[in-house]
Parts: sequence; structure tokens; C-alpha cells
Amino acid sequence: MSEELYKEMAQSIIEGDSDKSVELAKKSIELQMHPLDTITKGFVVGVNYIGDQFGKGEAFLPELVMAGEAMKAAVATLEPELMKLGESREVMGRVVLATVEGDIHEIGKTLVGTMLSASGFEVYDLGVDQPAEKIIGKALEVDAHIIGMSALLTTTMVRQREVIEELDKEGLRPRIKVMVGGAPITKDWFQKIKADGYSEDAIGAVKIAKQLVGKADA
Amino acid sequence: MRPLNVISKDEIQSIHETTLRILSEIGFVWTHKESLRILQEAGCKVNGKRVYFPPSLVEESIARSGKRATIKGRNGDSFTLGDGGLFFHNLGGARDVYDPRTNSRRAARESDVKDAARLLDALEYCHTVTPFFTPQDVPGELMSLFMYRHMIPGTTKPLQGPGIQYGYEVKYALEMAAVIGTPASELILSLSPVSPLTIPDHEAEAVVEMAKAGVAFSTLPCPTAGATSPMTIAGSLAQQNAETLAVLVLAQIINPGLPIIYCGRLGMLEPRTGLIWGGLELGLCSAATVQLGHSYGYSVNVYGFSTNAHTLDAQNGFERGLNAVLPALAGADELSGIGEMEAGVMGSYAQMVLDNELAGHILRLRQGFDVNEETLAFEGILKAMDGTRNFLGQKHTMKHLRTELHLTTLAERNTWEAWEKNERKGIVERAAEQAGQILKEHVVPPLEPQQDTELDRIMAAAEMEHARKG
Repeated sequence: MSEELYKEMAQSIIEGDSDKSVELAKKSIELQMHPLDTITKGFVVGVNYIGDQFGKGEAFLPELVMAGEAMKAAVATLEPELMKLGESREVMGRVVLATVEGDIHEIGKTLVGTMLSASGFEVYDLGVDQPAEKIIGKALEVDAHIIGMSALLTTTMVRQREVIEELDKEGLRPRIKVMVGGAPITKDWFQKIKADGYSEDAIGAVKIAKQLVGKADA
Repeated sequence: MRPLNVISKDEIQSIHETTLRILSEIGFVWTHKESLRILQEAGCKVNGKRVYFPPSLVEESIARSGKRATIKGRNGDSFTLGDGGLFFHNLGGARDVYDPRTNSRRAARESDVKDAARLLDALEYCHTVTPFFTPQDVPGELMSLFMYRHMIPGTTKPLQGPGIQYGYEVKYALEMAAVIGTPASELILSLSPVSPLTIPDHEAEAVVEMAKAGVAFSTLPCPTAGATSPMTIAGSLAQQNAETLAVLVLAQIINPGLPIIYCGRLGMLEPRTGLIWGGLELGLCSAATVQLGHSYGYSVNVYGFSTNAHTLDAQNGFERGLNAVLPALAGADELSGIGEMEAGVMGSYAQMVLDNELAGHILRLRQGFDVNEETLAFEGILKAMDGTRNFLGQKHTMKHLRTELHLTTLAERNTWEAWEKNERKGIVERAAEQAGQILKEHVVPPLEPQQDTELDRIMAAAEMEHARKG
């Protein structure tokens, strides 16, 4: 019975159907299934699948976004149940995300946030045009493991370095790891500014984040 | 999508009128007795080696002729040319094979005739297959039949019959087609009159045979502007039109209503080398040929992928792209040239794969895009603005993604890093790999053993007839 339901859950994520994933989450509550099982044996399977497909070039960006949204909606439905049980989903790590100062592009960054949340990270997304002190301040406030910074413009990517320099000055690294991303960001840039992680896409970003918090997939 | 017009209606009319004058005042070199008698009975005048066609006969023949031809494959698939779609087929008649991995060429062998059929069978946008390579150890008079015989087992797609030059070839080609269950009415042959304005006796005989047998055929004049037709494109179009219509008149007298595919292979002389083919004017000629043929109501087949390049380089890419896109936008029904290189004397397996990719893009281009309430997406814009302010997570995006975009499989669409990770492979390497993979793995349902035996028997009979004549 629950095996069937797990499959349907995974499928609802693969299809990016938020209505369906919420409906299935509610059904699992009625059936008194353990919400953690529901997440890890059901919904997460779908997220992993679509992520793999994306990595192989067989799924598209919009599918990834829709899957992430469906996942978020399902988890939000289950969270009150988890609270009641006094349990919580294992938090992979806390991540503060932002698009750097002077840059207002956020689709990629938001997608990274969605995929990180879907994969079990606690994500604090500050939005766009965020100065270094705001980003660092938030990271300290929530005791973040990772700061993730996005930039779309070749004129704003330099701000990523400024944040890193600021963190170094205050002696906050390696306690806080830094991930960078965005269309103009290359491996060369990532090495040059001595960030800790970089990825070309949201699926890669999840992998890197897991590595940075020492929870890499086996 | 509205078709591209490279010439106006008035200009088409001027070309048509010039064609009628060429046929009635300049005439056609024609000496084949049986067909001359048929033409004379229908009102043509003969003077010396020339035959003159009255304009009324030409226009009646156009009106009478069938305009749509169907072609069927042994898998049962059939295409009707002129149904508004665009169909691609490969180059016919390449002498050499180019290998991009060694950047060298070699003479085509019998195995290449077979392998080409099998590779083309696997390529999605090669809709019909025509015999590709011409192994040079086969006698010229038997080449067409030889190619046809060895292509048949290699594909289940509709197989266009070979280019015909001799009357006896028609008989054997028909027998071979019948072995795989293709009746005369679902076979297409082709024939090229000689430019300027000449039909050798053996070709006139072949036209008579095809018309009697009821085989639809493509008239395939190949004038070269500046060499075998006027340097100007307009004059060459009028002459090419006359070459097609002269052959068509004979066929319509013998078999009224026989479907004809209007073909043109007009190319330009390269005055520095005497070669033809690759320049952009070829695409312009092809587009105008499409307009001219369509003005009569025919489906039109012209050159598509064409280049003078010897390798799979940038020149190759831009020449074949331009030369195929122009006629495609003009509304061509069929484009030729998959696999072509070096002005049609060479072909390559990697090129076939590349052209399959390019054909997919051109089909996408031809599709244009729809403008309606759904595609104008007002609701979607509203939803995005009230929500996440992006369109990635919208169902509307997924719904239209696959139809609005043609997703390439060979072209580079990745970052420098991903490209480096992939050993800096480019489109040529990927195409060569894919070709090798297909040739290794693709299996075409074989013929029944008795079908193979029968094809061998027909080929042997053709060889005997050839030997007797020789």
C-alpha cells in the first residue's frame, strides 16, 4: 500500500504537480504514515530522479523548477506533523543565499535555493542586490554553514570577491564556506577568488553544498 | 509561415513567357524517332535536329499533368509530395567517401552503397532515400540499377528510384521495385535532360518507357549558368523551365495525367575553376525554381545541402545552410543533398548525421510560430508578475517548450568548462561518433531470402542485356 503511494509521490514531483504532491502529503497524514518516511522514501526519490535526468541533459530547467516547487509544497504540508512529533527532517546544513550588490538577477539563485531546500538544507534567501555586510550579518545570525552568492553580470561578479575578502578579514573562514555561481562564473574565477565551491547548475550546487558540509553522497 | 518570394508574380510570368518562346522559337535538340513521331502528331514541328513546341500544347500539358506523387517504402510508409510538408533526401551519385577522422578520402565501394542506405535509414529527417555512392568499378550503364539493387535491403524507408538514362533501365528498376511490393504508381524515377535544350535518344526512350509504365518521375535539368545556360539567373530559369516542360509534354501525350515532380538543379559557374555548386546564388536559383514550379501547381524538389568544401569546416556549414534555407523558406516540397560534400562528388557518413541535424533545424524554421490567445500568453505574464516573476516554473512553459524549441543534439550549447570536460569535442567529432555508432548498431529488417535471390536475378538479366548491347 505505502509502496504504491511512495511511487505516486515521486511521480508527482517528477511531473512538477504541486497540487498532486500536496494532496498526497495530506493523504499520508490521514493514513498516519511517518512524515519523514513520506519525504525520504516518496518525494525525495522524485527530486533525485529529475535531478539526475537534468544532469544527463534529459530534463529541462522548467521541469526542475516545477519539481522543486512541488517538493517545497509537499514538505510545507508535512512540516506541522513533524513538529507535532517533535521531530524534524534532518537538516543538511544552513545556507544563506543572495544575489550580490548591484545585481538584481535571481532566477538561477532562487532555483538553487529551491533545490537546496528540496534536498534538506535550511535556506535563507535574502533576495537580490545584497551588500556584503547584510549577507555576512545574516550568516552569523542563523549560524550558517554556507554562504551562496550569485551574479549574472560581468560587472557585478567582482562583488563575490569582496564578500570573501570581508569574511577573511573577520576570520570567519573556514567556519563559513562560500559557494559562487551565475552565468559568467567560471572555474577560473572560482579559483581566483578562492571560494570553496562552484557549480554550473542547481543540481551541481546541491552536490557541492553536500560536500562542503561533509554530507556528500556515497 | 508565409513563403519567401525572391521573384514577383509578374517576374514569374515573364520567365514563363520566355520559356514558351524558347520552346516554340528556339526548339529542342531531339532525334529519337518514336518520340518525335508522338510529338509531331500532337502538333510539334520538326526542322532538322530540332523540335518546336506550340505554346498551347505546352500549357495544355501542364494543365493535364498530375501534380502530386506518392512514394512508398517497404515498411509501408508513404509520402505524398506537395502536401505542404518539407521532405529531405540524400545526395545521389557520390564517387568518394570522406573520413573526418583521418581528413582523407577514398573511392566508394559496394559496401558503402549498402552502409549509406543503412545509416540514412536510421536518420530521422532523411525521409526518403536515394542511391548514394557510385563505386567506380561498376560499368556506367549498369550503375543506376546496381546502386538501386544494393540500396533496397539497407532501408525500409521510401526509396527513390535511381536516375534513369536508358530505356531498359526503367524495365529493370520496375521489376526490382515490384520485388519489395512497390507498384509503378508508388515509385519515383528521375531523368536529367542535357543542357542546353537537348535530349539524347536513350533518354527520350527512357521517358517513353516511364510514361507507358505509369511511373511518376522527376525532371531533373542541371544547367550551369554561364556554361550550359545564360550567365543571368533569370535566363537560366527560363531555359531550365523549358528543359523540364519539353520532357513533361512528351510524358503527358503518352500518359495524360501522369504525376510529374518539378525539379531544378540550376547552379552557377565558378569562373575561376570551371566548377559549379556551392555559392549562395545556388540557393537563390533553387528558391526561384520553387516559386516557378509552384506557380504551375507542382510539388518542387531542388538542391538543398550544397557546398564546395572538402572538409567539415565553416565554409561547408554556412554554404549548405544558406543553400538549403533559401528554397526551404520559398516553400520547397523536397530538398536534396543529405551527406553531400565537394560539389556532390564526395559524401561522408558524418556529413549525413550533420545534415540530419540541420534538416531538423530547417523543419523547425519552416514551422514558424503560432500567434493566438494561448501563445500570446497574457494570463501567463499576469501569473508570473503576481507570483515569482519568472516563467521557469509555469506549466505554460513546459507545455510549449518542446514545440517552440528545436532541441539540438549535436550543436554545442554548453559552457567552456563542460566542453573541456568533454575532451573539447565539437560537432564534427560528435557527428562522426554518432555515424560510427549507428553503422555498428542499426539493424534494418532484412529481405526475405527469395527477395534477395530475385533481385540478383534481375541484376544479372540487366547485366546480360548490357553485355549483348555492348
